[in-house]
Amino acid sequence: MLPKFEYYSPTSLSEALELLEKYGEDARIIAGGTDLLVSMRDRILKPKYLIDIKKIPELRRIEYKEGVGLTIGAAVTLKDILEYPNVGKKYRVLWDAVKTIGDMILRNRATLVGNICNASPAADSAPALLILDARARIINRNDGVGEVPLERFFVGVKKTILKPTEIVKEVFVPEPPANCYGKYVKVMRVQSEDLAVVGVGGLAYRDRGDLVVRLAYSSVAPTPIRVKEVEEVFKKKNMPTDEKIEEAVKISSEKVSPISDVRGSAEYRLNLVKVATRRLLKELVEVV
Amino acid sequence: MGEPVAAVIAEDLEAAEEAVELIEVEYEPLPAVLDVREALKPGAPLVHEELGEYAHSPAFNPIPGTNIANRFTLKKGNIVEGFDKSEVVVENEFYMPQVSHVQMETHVCIGHYMADGNIRIWTSAQSPFTVRYILSHSLGIPLHKISVYTPYVGGGFGGKAGINFEPLVVLLSKKAGYRPVKLELTREEHFLAAPLRQGFYAKIKTGVTKDGRIMAEKIFYAFDAGAYADYGVNPARAAGYSCTGPYYVPNVEAESLAVYTNHQWGTAFRGFGHFEFLWAVERQMEIVASELGVDPVGFRLKNALLPGLTTPTGEVLREDAGRIDQCIKAVAEEIRWGEKNRGSEPGKVRAKGIAALWKAPAIPPNAASSAIIKFNEDGTVLLSVGVTEIGQGTVTSLAQIAAEELGVPVEKVRVVPFRHTDLTPYSWQTVASRNLFMEGRAVIRAARDAKEQILEIASQVLRAPKDDLIIKDEKVWVKGRPEWGLDLKDIVAGYVYPNGNTVGGPIIGRGYFVGTRLSYLDPETGQGYPALKWTFGAQGVEIELDLETGEVRVLKLVSAFDVGKAINPMLVVGQIIGGGIQSLSLGMWEQYVYDGKGRMLNPNLTDYKIARAGDIPEEIVPIIIENPQSDGPYGARGVAELCMLSVPAAIANAIFHATGVNINDLPLTYENIWKALNKKR
Repeated sequence: MLPKFEYYSPTSLSEALELLEKYGEDARIIAGGTDLLVSMRDRILKPKYLIDIKKIPELRRIEYKEGVGLTIGAAVTLKDILEYPNVGKKYRVLWDAVKTIGDMILRNRATLVGNICNASPAADSAPALLILDARARIINRNDGVGEVPLERFFVGVKKTILKPTEIVKEVFVPEPPANCYGKYVKVMRVQSEDLAVVGVGGLAYRDRGDLVVRLAYSSVAPTPIRVKEVEEVFKKKNMPTDEKIEEAVKISSEKVSPISDVRGSAEYRLNLVKVATRRLLKELVEVV
Repeated sequence: MGEPVAAVIAEDLEAAEEAVELIEVEYEPLPAVLDVREALKPGAPLVHEELGEYAHSPAFNPIPGTNIANRFTLKKGNIVEGFDKSEVVVENEFYMPQVSHVQMETHVCIGHYMADGNIRIWTSAQSPFTVRYILSHSLGIPLHKISVYTPYVGGGFGGKAGINFEPLVVLLSKKAGYRPVKLELTREEHFLAAPLRQGFYAKIKTGVTKDGRIMAEKIFYAFDAGAYADYGVNPARAAGYSCTGPYYVPNVEAESLAVYTNHQWGTAFRGFGHFEFLWAVERQMEIVASELGVDPVGFRLKNALLPGLTTPTGEVLREDAGRIDQCIKAVAEEIRWGEKNRGSEPGKVRAKGIAALWKAPAIPPNAASSAIIKFNEDGTVLLSVGVTEIGQGTVTSLAQIAAEELGVPVEKVRVVPFRHTDLTPYSWQTVASRNLFMEGRAVIRAARDAKEQILEIASQVLRAPKDDLIIKDEKVWVKGRPEWGLDLKDIVAGYVYPNGNTVGGPIIGRGYFVGTRLSYLDPETGQGYPALKWTFGAQGVEIELDLETGEVRVLKLVSAFDVGKAINPMLVVGQIIGGGIQSLSLGMWEQYVYDGKGRMLNPNLTDYKIARAGDIPEEIVPIIIENPQSDGPYGARGVAELCMLSVPAAIANAIFHATGVNINDLPLTYENIWKALNKKR
């Protein structure tokens, strides 16, 4: 059973922020609850107050503006994202990643903002959001909205920069580069559904003929990470593509710091980083 | 590990959970044994220092002063001569971890110790009569004061055989002032405190002639029983008497042990020792064939245990036994054994593998089943049997058998949907793939008993001798004279003449069945007759293996079983598909992962992986072979456990053919496969 708590279901953002200001660390925001309720059932978390944000209309909004970008509200479910036509078309790598989170039952409840606020090293949506230069829009009662690039949002395992009185109102993903191709590769312990043993998101496009490549990883470091050094490799002139790929594989495998746990050994994860990176880069290079 | 040390009884779950958090336990860590091989070494810490004082069934052989909870030994032929005649000798070791049953419904029961001394139990159990018997035996309360009620059970797979948490709730009920007490495990509690399937270690030495005939086998099996052997002593015995697999081996020496460790405790699990040792035997067969340079399918066929040959216990296989050779050939043909493998993407390979299997019910010689058939006044039928419905569907087949015998449509037969030890006819246990065979025979006898009573009445009313009467299509009539007949409904509650005179009365048929000439096994040599019937089968897979990540996908799964007669082919196919997937899941993913101190690290379904819908092979081919066994109901043999026995070995054999790498430890996780492939590089 869950520990005892008081439940609030505000219908406006200001009301929610008011409650958060009042209860601070004793309160938790609940959207899908797919991570929170599990932790509560295991009695790892025992918040005294739950503030449900699902009834706040402006947080349920998902919107794409041509040339500007995609805004995903805090209460938008993963299912909503998968069914929103422009995500599949314009943000393929994000769609790919969201599709691998949990299973259909879970995606009906879970939210993207929840996925990043939970800040699991294995957050599947994070690599895609990192390489798409996504930003978290954070709000509290007193200061209005501030914007933080996702790279600065994650601080450690299950830790973000978010203060107890703050809410991530939405995630903003800018218009991706024209004609880009992206893909999320998730290696699991089974064929069906699992947490990532290793996840790699990749994005590639041509900038006036020059190949640009971005890579980010989940489950190989305390936080999801984008490896920018790889991007420099692909900017090099006069280096054959095959060599660039091998150089990128080498750099990535040096930049990650996987641990051994019940889901996989560090040594296996490192192998998967190499294999998945190599395969993904070959595909990206071939397509764009 | 996993042993409950305190219990809280409360008015509601919330209060109980809060109270549990307030309990503080101080432990003094003692030296522990966490590996069967370690537990067998001289000087190993003893898990049960007073083992010699424990009461046990004479069928088991605990060795005081050691961690051996049961030692089974078997000697057939002359092992020394057998190895002398062998030209090639191959020895290997094999291993598998402890696993969970992962039944959909966890353990749940209600105990009510009543002020008048009677006990009532509601429980999700496979075997209500065994719950009653063991409770009676251990508390010294006679059987007639204990009532056990079991509704439909949400899955068992052996984990709910025997007795489990029922004594705890009964005694807590007494403590709680004779109020009923309910216990229901969460999935996490189920992983941490419910009995599991034992771990397993094997060492097999096989002697063969150059032309591929097995001459001798020296076998050692050790089961990781955990801290309480409980039911776990019995799989070690079952594995011992079936130890060679479905092959004729003239000279065998085997030792099969249930060994105490400080791991969580083990109990029965679908396959009952056979899933475990067949992993070893079927890998060993592949390795021996490869050492000889012969085709592994041909090698199996050459040594196939056919009718007329002797089993490890010296039993001559009956002439109407199932045919292992036909099962192996059927699977080989369906997976196109010997034909070239299909092509694959770069970095991946495809390959095929086959493994065979056999099993007999592991039951005491006096294990019994019984059935009651009651006719209602309108000619419909109530069939009452003690086999519980745990998802296997046996009762549907039993209803079909009753309908067939009684000459009524199956829609008019209802199987009583609960088991209640006060009302239900006795059944030893719902285990061992024995119930279609044994309850089936009991139902046939009950139906014939009922028919005899019907004929008695009809003979009077129709003024014709009984042997001139026929019962069919809900009627009874004089042979050749359908116009001289009666509707069954007018007889089954007594026949009433127009003037009110009545002959006969309510019809109640009863029947029982016990195995014919089953015997205890010789304590030294293991020779004797343990088997009600042997069911044979084979399984084959086609896999795709990623050489860089170790990911393996089973593309096609083929299984063939000689079931004698498929009473309900849809149920047989359902068992074959379900069992095949469970087998695949156990082979590839399932394991209790412990830390260095024996604490389980994955007590949840996030990290204890089981196959989900997306892991099921796209192509599954079930093959039913029917060589009827004359004493089975309509020739049928049991198949339930058989369906999940040999998929892991088939997958590992395919990996061997793809890469030349032998993997002898389960599970075949992607990471374990990758590590094995890496070792070779």
